[in-house]
This record gives sequence, C-alpha cells and structure tokens, in this order.
Amino acid sequence: MTHYVHHLKKDIQRHLFDYLMLFTSGVAFLIALNVFKGEKLITFIILMAFTSVYIIWGIYHHIIDDSIRLKTVLEYILIGFTIIFLLKLLLIT
Amino acid sequence: MKKIFNFFHYLLIPQAKNNFRAKALHHDFLTIYLLVALVSAIMFKNTVTVGGNVLGFATDVTIEKLFQLTNSERAKQGLSPLTYNDQLATAGQRKAADMFAKNYWAHYAPDGTAPWDFIKKAGYTYEYAGENLAKNFMFSQGVVDAWMNSTTHRENLLRKEYTDVGFAVVNGVLNGEETTLVVQEFGKPLSGLALTREVSAQEPQPVVSQAPQAVPTAAVEQSQVSQAIPAGQTVNGLSGGASRPLINLMPAYVNLNLVFFAFLLLALLLDLYFAMKLKVIRVGGKNIAHFMFIGFIFAGLLLITLKGAIL
Repeated sequence: MTHYVHHLKKDIQRHLFDYLMLFTSGVAFLIALNVFKGEKLITFIILMAFTSVYIIWGIYHHIIDDSIRLKTVLEYILIGFTIIFLLKLLLIT
Repeated sequence: MKKIFNFFHYLLIPQAKNNFRAKALHHDFLTIYLLVALVSAIMFKNTVTVGGNVLGFATDVTIEKLFQLTNSERAKQGLSPLTYNDQLATAGQRKAADMFAKNYWAHYAPDGTAPWDFIKKAGYTYEYAGENLAKNFMFSQGVVDAWMNSTTHRENLLRKEYTDVGFAVVNGVLNGEETTLVVQEFGKPLSGLALTREVSAQEPQPVVSQAPQAVPTAAVEQSQVSQAIPAGQTVNGLSGGASRPLINLMPAYVNLNLVFFAFLLLALLLDLYFAMKLKVIRVGGKNIAHFMFIGFIFAGLLLITLKGAIL
C-alpha cells in the first residue's frame, strides 16, 4: 500500500500542472452544473464541454509525456462518450 | 465457483492472461460499454411511451409516492392521515396549467389569481386551505424532503387542521425550460359549524407556505387557462379522468448508471493498484485521470438528482 501511495504521489508531483488543470476543470464543471441546474440544454452542453476537456487533456498529457498512441486516445474517447450517452437521458429528456 | 472467481480475476486484475491490463478496461470492453449505453438510452426513450403519449421529462415524481410520503411524515408527528381529494387534485392541475400558460412560478398569478380561486373553482368549499409547490425534482422523496426541510412548507404539511390533500404533477414549458411542476393542495371542507362562523362574516383561512412573490409575466405560449391539461403538457395522477399512470423507468436507469460508475471505478482502482504492485509499465491512458473524470461525473450525477426548487 505504501508503494502504491508513493507511486501515485510521484506521478502527481511529476505532472502536477496537468492534474491541477483537470481538477480545476472538474470543479468548474460542478459549479456550472449548480449554477445552471434545471436548464437542461445548458447542463448537457456543460457535460459535453467537460468531456471534451477530458479527451483533449488526455491527448495533451500523453503528448507532453511522450506516450501518445492511437489506442490511448481511443481509451479517453470511449470512456468520455460512454459517459455522455449514459447521462444524456438524465439531462435533456 | 472457482470459474466465477477466475473470471472476475481476469476481468479486474492485471495479469499475463489479459496483457497486464484489467480486461474490463480493454478497448473491446470499453466499446461494449459504449454500445450498452447507446442501446439503453434508446430503449429507455421508447419504453416510457405509454398509449401513444410520451413522458417528456426524466423524472420519477408520482402522486402515489407523494401522497404516501406526506401521510408518512404526518404519522411520524402523530397527526391523522390526509384523505386524497379529487377536487383538490383538479385544483392543483388547473394551478399548474395556469402557471405554464401565464409563465409564472409563484403562489399568486400575475393577474392576482390566488391558489384558493382554483380550489373554489374545483368545487371544494374549504374552511382551511393550503398550497405547497415544487419544480424540477427528479424523485418524490426529494420533493417531500425539501418541503420538510423548509419551516413554512413543513408547517403547512403538518397542519393538524387539514383533512384532505390533492396533488398534481404536470410537465410543461416554463420560462423556456422543460419543467415538472408539483402542486400540493391541502384543505378541510367547510363544516356546518364553520358555515355558521362564516355567516358571521369570518373569512376562510387559506395558508400558503410562503409570502406571494411578484413574478414578471413573460410571453404566454398557451391561452387555455381554464383547461386543466393544455396540449404539450402531461399530467400524472392517482385516479382516472384527465390523469393517467405512466410507466417510469427512471429509478432503474439511475441505478444502472450508479452501478456502472461504481464498477468502472472499481476496475480502475484494482488495475492501478495491481499494476503498481507488479511494477508493470504499460501503454495506455492514465487511471488517475479517468478516476478524476468519473469521480466528477459521479458528483455531477448526484447534484442533478438532488436539484429542484420549492415555493
């Protein structure tokens, strides 16, 4: 467990700016959801924007990390779009 | 049993067999999730169609549940249960239709129409009357919880004088937004004794949960104020007439989402933990980033299901 925490810490410290960026966009996502609650279309746009940020973040991060691969990008896209489809009905129907 | 264990081991724990990446996070599985999400979204949309009418808004607010929860809250305080009254329900439906037609969110209409006018027009002569309003809640429990957490609404819901209650859950467009309005009308019919009191110039005693608010009137889309259920609005009710029951898969859909998110988070956590333990270097996305993304989405989902306003 110590090794696990140590490795996580190391990875976060190494890419502190990147993770901070993703975290900030996540907080902005929650604030925006709260501000525009009840406005279904805007809520869906906010979800789309956050998912786009996540996918772009993945591409940017792996370019910086020099570990960009097609399957890596695909992983972010698949997770992102799955979430969009799952939440689409809750948000805009 | 061993087979099941091995399957979950293969699904969630990185090992040589799954190329040191939890199978649940492989691209083929991620594609399956995407397809399942798509299919469930389509199926959900088609299943909520009842008798040619579509439940236009994703909510699970039902009159049956609201009625049950209201009486349950009263029972906790040792108060007598309320009787469901169709006239009060009709008054609630007309009130909701009026709010959509005149585009306002208040106890009193911009033209001064009071909640009691709807109750009287529905043929209910009251000694006491009250009204609680709610909009955009996803669950009946959320509506009643919000009322119970507000002093004025709580007092209204727990007034010992009331004997009857009627509900209306109506979908429509308010201020340009698809909205689910919940109207709860309370009442106590005018008895012979009260009638005598009224003759001696005493006014009936209506109670709203909050002081009336001035709401600017925007463009009116429909003018059928007197009509209980104008076109474009759907009503959920206890009994027949204008009301109709709706098949609602919302709780199942929300639970499906929660189970999926929990499974994905578990897979990411185990994959990350064992990959580090085994000191495996892999090509792929960052699990911490996936974690953060899904975590924020999860929090957002909770925020959405808890949304709503009362008046």
